[in-house]
Amino acid sequence: MLHALGGAQITLRIADPSAGDTSSQLGIAPPMSEDIQIEPALVRTIAPSPNGARRIEVTLSAKAVKPIAEQYGVEDVPTWLLTAEGILYRGKLMSIDTVICDHLGGVDYLYHITATE
Amino acid sequence: MQPAKDSFYIELRNRLVAVDPQRTIVLDGALRPAIAVLENEPPNPTPPICDCFLLHWGSARLVRPSTDTLMALDCTIAYCTAGAEANAHLDRGRDLARLDNDLLAICSPAHTAKFDYSSGDPVALGSSLFWTPPALTAAKTMPPYIGREVSITLFFYPKVNQT
Repeated sequence: MLHALGGAQITLRIADPSAGDTSSQLGIAPPMSEDIQIEPALVRTIAPSPNGARRIEVTLSAKAVKPIAEQYGVEDVPTWLLTAEGILYRGKLMSIDTVICDHLGGVDYLYHITATE
Repeated sequence: MQPAKDSFYIELRNRLVAVDPQRTIVLDGALRPAIAVLENEPPNPTPPICDCFLLHWGSARLVRPSTDTLMALDCTIAYCTAGAEANAHLDRGRDLARLDNDLLAICSPAHTAKFDYSSGDPVALGSSLFWTPPALTAAKTMPPYIGREVSITLFFYPKVNQT
């Protein structure tokens, strides 16, 4: 379905694990980030936030996300997506507000991500 | 002001390691003592962080503006717990009491030396900070979580040579 609707690619920016040392705990040494390309993705512009910031909804198939998440040892994909640094969209990092998961037969099949500029 | 904030956090963290070494948490993929300053963590929305002391900084002011530069800085320490699933969360009140005990233990004695951590390594500033006894608010229940906030006011001189 996502392929039929355009099959775009999005970039998810995740933070590498923190060093856990004093500098990182004090916010002095920021963790490194990594950009991950995920496709197919359906990107839809939705109503802006109350302060006028642009918002998008990104729909991803679990089939595309799960193999990538497994590479990072992730079991809880929605929480992993929610705690990512954001989605790079048209050159801007948009922070992730919500992640909604659709299930079928007890298995995730779609993730709907809402992100704000 | 930053050295006071950093020194307070580091002192409480080190005391927590001594008081309850088992109280740890994985934050951003790293295992660490279960205490964090919220403004130093990634600004992502995350599920409630349980069994961890979360420090929020509040208002700051001069205590006696006309006479000296002693500053007061409010700090709120929030924590919550859900108890254990294996116990049907019925032990959440007992877990909260353990968190209370740990917090009271790490807040005493109510003073520590002040260091500058901006270079990554602690540099002694030759001064100290002290704080009020923790004031525990009523526990709030948000099933299955139970938690509370604790208010503390720090006092310090922002300039090194005035202690």
